[in-house]
Amino acid sequence: MQVTGSLKGRSSRLMRSVNSLAGAAMFVAPLLALVAIWAIVVPLFNVNPRVFPSVGAVGAAALDSIRDGTLFTHVGASLLRVGLGTLIGIATAVPLGIAMGVSPTVAAFLTPLFRFFSVLAGIAWIPIATLWFGYGFGAIVFVIFNAVFFVVAYNTLLGVRTIPHTLRNAAASLGAGRWALLTEVLLPGALPNIVTGIRTGLGFAWRGLIAAEMIATNVGLGYMLFVARDFYRTEVIVFGMIVIGVLWLLIDRLLLVPLERATIERWGMVRRA
Amino acid sequence: MKTLSLRNLGKTYFDPYAGAHVTAVHDVSLDVEPGEFISVVGPSGCGKTTILNMIAGFIPYSKGDILLDGKPVHGPGPERGVVFQSFALFPWKTVLDNVGFGPKMRGVPKAERDRIAREYLALAGLSHAAHRYPNELSGGMQQRVGVVRALANNPDVLLMDEPFASVDAQTRMTLQEELTRIWQERKPTVIFITHDVPEAVFLANRVVVLSKGRVLDEIAVDLPRPRVWDDLVKDDRFKQLSARVLQMVRAA
Repeated sequence: MQVTGSLKGRSSRLMRSVNSLAGAAMFVAPLLALVAIWAIVVPLFNVNPRVFPSVGAVGAAALDSIRDGTLFTHVGASLLRVGLGTLIGIATAVPLGIAMGVSPTVAAFLTPLFRFFSVLAGIAWIPIATLWFGYGFGAIVFVIFNAVFFVVAYNTLLGVRTIPHTLRNAAASLGAGRWALLTEVLLPGALPNIVTGIRTGLGFAWRGLIAAEMIATNVGLGYMLFVARDFYRTEVIVFGMIVIGVLWLLIDRLLLVPLERATIERWGMVRRA
Repeated sequence: MKTLSLRNLGKTYFDPYAGAHVTAVHDVSLDVEPGEFISVVGPSGCGKTTILNMIAGFIPYSKGDILLDGKPVHGPGPERGVVFQSFALFPWKTVLDNVGFGPKMRGVPKAERDRIAREYLALAGLSHAAHRYPNELSGGMQQRVGVVRALANNPDVLLMDEPFASVDAQTRMTLQEELTRIWQERKPTVIFITHDVPEAVFLANRVVVLSKGRVLDEIAVDLPRPRVWDDLVKDDRFKQLSARVLQMVRAA
């Protein structure tokens, strides 16, 4: 039986924050090295700015977009779409995943459909989504929803199936009815898997978002990249790519990883690969 | 407190591996008086766990009746508390919330069920662990929680399925002594399944020996209480009873 961090003293908490600082430094170091190489190579070979921008040009593009506020318009639009699509995805996928986890019949019937649609999930839906919802918000939210839905539903199913049957028996013999079984056993028991599913699904959704925004809208990070291409603004393209990558790392490291770790560690559950 | 009766209880199920119907329990009749502590022993495959699962309502029975105070029981219910071999504590709930789960299901308000849970935790010497999570506890402590979680729900019958089989030998003896102490204080009706003969004799008023899905014999255990191992290992009466039960189990 493992003793978790909450039992240990203050000194280990200090050690842990030192460790996490060191971890952050280790994480940032290779990225800084890449920027350093970029700063040396571009002037050294006198690279045409239409092919690849200098570090300075990208910095200037960054300052411009911050000063005139366009960066925040694009980031805000993208985050809103991802947030809404993800919420709808989770709200629909979790109940379905639990229904599949509880009923072998439902699971058997839906599994082939899931296999089929999880291949198609995300960007393959962009063309038809634009026909259904028009160019813009609705179509992109649908693509995000689609990318999140299948992964979360499948992970919820896995989560419910990994709950030992004795826990359901224990709850029933303590007087739990169907509703209590759902809220007290199935949902909390599946939560670590659900969180893992959300993390994976959001990763798909983020990629899908950029692709959808290149095609189906006139605002957002994907659009920002795509329009800059028309004017050979490589510094705007590269800046946009950096924003996309950094935003995802922030979402993943600051939101999803701690959430996943909290549910899995707190409940002493081992992640099943 | 209510009387539990098994009348000609039987269980037949289809074994997909054998491709045939298998009878796990042939014909078992047993009356359990309120406040009685019954141990059920027998070799593997004698049907003891199947009987317990039928009484708990986890599996349906094929023939006969299970009557609690004259009324047939079907499906799980809070009047039959269960202590599992695998503890079956909710890993996402603190010890306090695990023990308060039964009262919560009855709609007892938070403050009152915390009071009940604390009372039962104190009974098992677990007050200090109230706010820990199960995975932070040793196996022996987890099963203490398992026992008081079932007791805190005030069941008519407490069903215990080899509850101490997965803890080490020293802890097991301590848990057995604690269980007899708690039983003396609270006098719950207990059906205790085990394959460990000394354990069965140590705990019970009556030992039921099962063989191949039938009751082979019943032996009354008239040893005085409180029972502690230091005394009983030297006790001739305990040795005689254990030897008798062991002989029956081995011949079963």
